[in-house]
Amino acid sequence: MSAVMSRTARLRHPVAGTLAVAGYVVMIVPILFVVATAFTAGSTLRFPPDGLSLRWFGEAVAYTPFMEAVVSSLQLAVLATGLALLLGVPVTLAIHRGKIPGKGLLEGLFLSPLVVPELVVGLALYQQLMIGLRLDNFTTLLLGHTALLLPYAVRVTGASLALADPALEEAARGLGASPLRAFVTVTLPMLRPGLISAGLLGFVTSFNNVPLSLLLQTRDFRTLPVTMLDYVQQSYDPMVAAASTLVLAATVVVAIVAERTVGFAKIFGGINR
Amino acid sequence: MTTPAAELVGVSQRFGSFTAVDSIDLQIPRGRLTTLLGPSGCGKTTTLRMLAGYSAPTSGRILIDGDDATRLPPEKRNLGMVFQSYALFPHMTVADNVAYGPKMRKVPAAERRRRAGEALELVGLAHLADRKPKQLSGGQQQRVALARAIAIRPRLLLLDEPLSNLDARLRVQMRAEIRRIQSETGLTVVLVTHDQDEALEMSDEMVLMRSGKIVQSGAPRDVFPAPADRFVAEFLGYENFLTLADGRQAAVRPEHLRVLPADTSAATSADGGIVLDAVVLDVAYRGVDLLVTLEATDPAGNAVRLLADHRADTATGPTPSAGDRVRLLAPEARLAHLSADSTAAPTAPTTAPTASTAPTEGIS
Repeated sequence: MSAVMSRTARLRHPVAGTLAVAGYVVMIVPILFVVATAFTAGSTLRFPPDGLSLRWFGEAVAYTPFMEAVVSSLQLAVLATGLALLLGVPVTLAIHRGKIPGKGLLEGLFLSPLVVPELVVGLALYQQLMIGLRLDNFTTLLLGHTALLLPYAVRVTGASLALADPALEEAARGLGASPLRAFVTVTLPMLRPGLISAGLLGFVTSFNNVPLSLLLQTRDFRTLPVTMLDYVQQSYDPMVAAASTLVLAATVVVAIVAERTVGFAKIFGGINR
Repeated sequence: MTTPAAELVGVSQRFGSFTAVDSIDLQIPRGRLTTLLGPSGCGKTTTLRMLAGYSAPTSGRILIDGDDATRLPPEKRNLGMVFQSYALFPHMTVADNVAYGPKMRKVPAAERRRRAGEALELVGLAHLADRKPKQLSGGQQQRVALARAIAIRPRLLLLDEPLSNLDARLRVQMRAEIRRIQSETGLTVVLVTHDQDEALEMSDEMVLMRSGKIVQSGAPRDVFPAPADRFVAEFLGYENFLTLADGRQAAVRPEHLRVLPADTSAATSADGGIVLDAVVLDVAYRGVDLLVTLEATDPAGNAVRLLADHRADTATGPTPSAGDRVRLLAPEARLAHLSADSTAAPTAPTTAPTASTAPTEGIS
């Protein structure tokens, strides 16, 4: 609370500053409790922890269902993010640069997964794809997650495209580049921050998703959040807290790497402005 | 006569029900600098974009070097375009920006570098080749954009309001700079501007546009003293409009209206011209001269509001002050006779702080 940043923020905008501090407190404090309980030497999820130990981290890493689920979640998140970008970028280009009618409708369609309740989507996919078309659950999950991530791909890359001067592509064409070369040499580099941020957001969204993954799980393919949820229902020991803390640590590492290589201001600049 | 560098034949551009360019015919003379001049929305930029291939005309034909280029995409036209925003590629160095065109033409790397260096030399920026566009000032960015357009050895160099984002002093420098580059390279240049001074100073040929049509074209020396109608006259800075005794319209510039003492005899106008009785409404000090606002009665009997530049160093007679009764002389040689143009909007006087009665201008 006494951080220099929050103090200057509060001095400039008292209300916004206070709200920001309150927001951070609400978000971060519960996480701190989880992290603290993960380091307990005891065998129950309790705060304050009974002594200090890394024992539950060892158990979490050695627990096969968790490790299998991590691999599943990573596969799913990477593939779904890639697919969503592959589909979303051309749509973004069509919306921002194309000369097509009904752009608003098109954008609305691709943003709609944000609005439709995921349980409904999950149930629909379950009925139509798994039962109806007999697709396996990984394919169904992949399609579901891809749809879920499309709004990020379209919106976030769209934001960086909206900032880029349309004359850049025209300049490239005028200098002799075919539409494809103009895209590769000029538009794509402009899109880079948007692609990275859409990728990060998409990856995290897919990795953390519960409703879709819960509805479409099977015995042989289960994502990490679903597996953890399952585990908590059966036993209430600190291993889940340890697993959560590991996920959190990995996320922080990714965030730091992203900040060091591209910079958050650049990555998310497209959204904030 | 040789074929024009480019030619528009009956070219129109309609966006829905709006006609941006209305069936214009235009020839761009080779090796000269042609400006398209007009207020915003007159169709000058649309015309340039059709020439460059960024927008297809709704009807009409575009010829480049005598060949039909109407449906040719921009990358096949070989025209160097400088955008108003410069549109430099922000992720490339200055040198890579300039070498981009030759690269797209599959020019070998060494030759590319040489050409980029040459073009940067021409605009005086060879020492900044390794910078990124963001590290340059607006004027430098503008030169890079010019170099990039020149490096493809274009058939035409097209400039869209190239100086509008520069500050006043730099703008005047760049006018001369662009002229120098034009004469050194012998390129055919088409420049779009809304600034009449820019057009007058830079053009070999100026083309005045209004509401999608060409209203007058010619060399600045021919157009400036003889505006075709009231619109052109207003655009070129003619502030004073009179209806003559025979009903014709005439325009005269403030610097050509002479303020004389009230007792000057009408015979002063021995060399022809019009003498008007007037009352001084306001005098504004402007350093080199005084801007005098007057109310007078024109030869057709209408009350008109007039502006005169009074230079104390060259003018004869006392310095006018508000309330003075004076005589105005508009020399015959300085009167521009206008063709009737009923659509021209009447101008409001630019300075009339002490206005007591609204001027009624004589448009018959």
